[in-house]
Amino acid sequence: MSNMGSLLELRNLTKTFGRLVALSDLSLTVQRGETLGLIGPNGSGKTTTFNLIMRELKQDEGEIFFEGKEITKYPIQERVKMGIARTYQIPRPFAEMTVAENIRVGIMPDKIISVMTMNIRDGLEREIGKSVGFKQHELSMYPSELSMGSLRRLELGRNMATNPKLLLLDEVFAGLTVGEIAELSELLKEKKKEGLTFIIVSHDLRSLGPLVDRVIVVSFGEVVAEGSFEEVIADEKVKEAYLGKEEDSHLELHK
Amino acid sequence: MKRSLIWWVICGAVLASLPIFTSTGTLRIFIFANFLAIFAMSWDILSGYTGYISFGHPFLIGIAGYTTAILTRHLGTPLYISMPFAILLTMVAGTLFFFPALRIRGTYFALVTLAFMEVTYHLLKIVKPAVTGGTRGLTGLPFVVTGAVPNYYLSLFVMLTVGIGLWVLAKSSIGTVLSAIRMDEGAVKSAGLNPTKFKLFAFTVSAMVAGIGGSFYTHYLGSISPRAMFDITFLFTILVAALVGGEHTIVGPILGAYFLTFLLEYLRPYIPGAWRFLLYSVIALVVYNFAPKGIYSIFQGLFDWVGRRMRRGEQYG
Repeated sequence: MSNMGSLLELRNLTKTFGRLVALSDLSLTVQRGETLGLIGPNGSGKTTTFNLIMRELKQDEGEIFFEGKEITKYPIQERVKMGIARTYQIPRPFAEMTVAENIRVGIMPDKIISVMTMNIRDGLEREIGKSVGFKQHELSMYPSELSMGSLRRLELGRNMATNPKLLLLDEVFAGLTVGEIAELSELLKEKKKEGLTFIIVSHDLRSLGPLVDRVIVVSFGEVVAEGSFEEVIADEKVKEAYLGKEEDSHLELHK
Repeated sequence: MKRSLIWWVICGAVLASLPIFTSTGTLRIFIFANFLAIFAMSWDILSGYTGYISFGHPFLIGIAGYTTAILTRHLGTPLYISMPFAILLTMVAGTLFFFPALRIRGTYFALVTLAFMEVTYHLLKIVKPAVTGGTRGLTGLPFVVTGAVPNYYLSLFVMLTVGIGLWVLAKSSIGTVLSAIRMDEGAVKSAGLNPTKFKLFAFTVSAMVAGIGGSFYTHYLGSISPRAMFDITFLFTILVAALVGGEHTIVGPILGAYFLTFLLEYLRPYIPGAWRFLLYSVIALVVYNFAPKGIYSIFQGLFDWVGRRMRRGEQYG
């Protein structure tokens, strides 16, 4: 039985690539409405965790529960239908499609007949597009014309079109200007207020801090610390994981 | 939209009135162009849209051709039964054979489909030659209609019906999903769609069109032989027609088929035999190099330019 209040529960996930242990016996729980920060140095297994949650990779061991139901063997599109969605570290828009068309792919039902007879309601695309901050004229733009910030919003829009309950955001602030980070943060706060649950992976701790309710730190595929943002970044083990054991490093976590 | 409709009506009218002012010989070339257009569109809805490059379309066309040929030749089945049956069998058999291949991407898919074509060619020669006619194939098959003019109209009708059907399909959201698969299959999955389902659908439609083309073509020629069907030259004619015309446009492959067919015909007196194919590959490369999106994009650019000119004329005129 799984914990009833939790939206997502990962139990003892292990994933190895040959001899490399990417995740080792990782367990974590995300509560409904919570925003969880997932941090850790490069190669610590954050993206692998996302890949396992979406089943873009298969775990060697362990189970995954969503809304109390075991989904360990569900393929990705089933998980999306249940309400899990993700963005990618490097955005993956459909390059030859406009913003609106990209969003439309997210809206589409997974049925040939329904897609064929689907009455494309421009309004819905526009609505979703605007809800992630696109202006009317930007909806007919192509990904090659968009800034990194807009590309991230495009992916977010395509995700919102699938009606997610849980959103996994991978390095969502990477490559953004200060202004774009502020805009995106506002957007995420808004979505959180609407009841969306998040897991956010980010190296940009300063931007991540104000958004998260709780942080989990992974290193070498294992959870090394868990707690509020302030607690976690003060933790000696976390500093060690990020900086190694040297005394005089200059990563300014507190700023 | 309205303006392009006018263009279509003009094109249709020209094609429909063609028998009035052309010779039988030219009509025969047009008939071949129409069939090539059907094959190229069949390739386009699968490979052009989803990016799964098929080298096995002659295999599909061949299934249909041989099925209806064997049925009519040996069992005396009437055409109105043998042809639909052949089309159906192409869809079923093609899907069965290719379905495992649709799970592999890129070059391997192309190679697997190519292998199907070659294997069929060699099997046809040795397995039951009494039924398949072996290397020589089957001749004396019934015709759907006789004479150049009726055959021209028939091929034009089939080609346009297939073309309009595929065009409508491609303009629907199905076309959007198939294109999305070409661009990033993983992202299609993470948008909640099962790409395999859509690829399979595209494949079945493609096989159906190949089946339609193959069975009509066989009964237009009145004969079928393995080397005419399962041949790399035939395969590349289809591919080049689609690529030169402009892939994932449906209209492009029609333009490409006409362009290639006439190119080959007009080169016939100057360059003998298979040397023509060398030249057309050069031309294909040139077109592909300067207009990678094909003849279709050149036409589109031209129409847009004329359209802009006319609009400007209206403004200042």
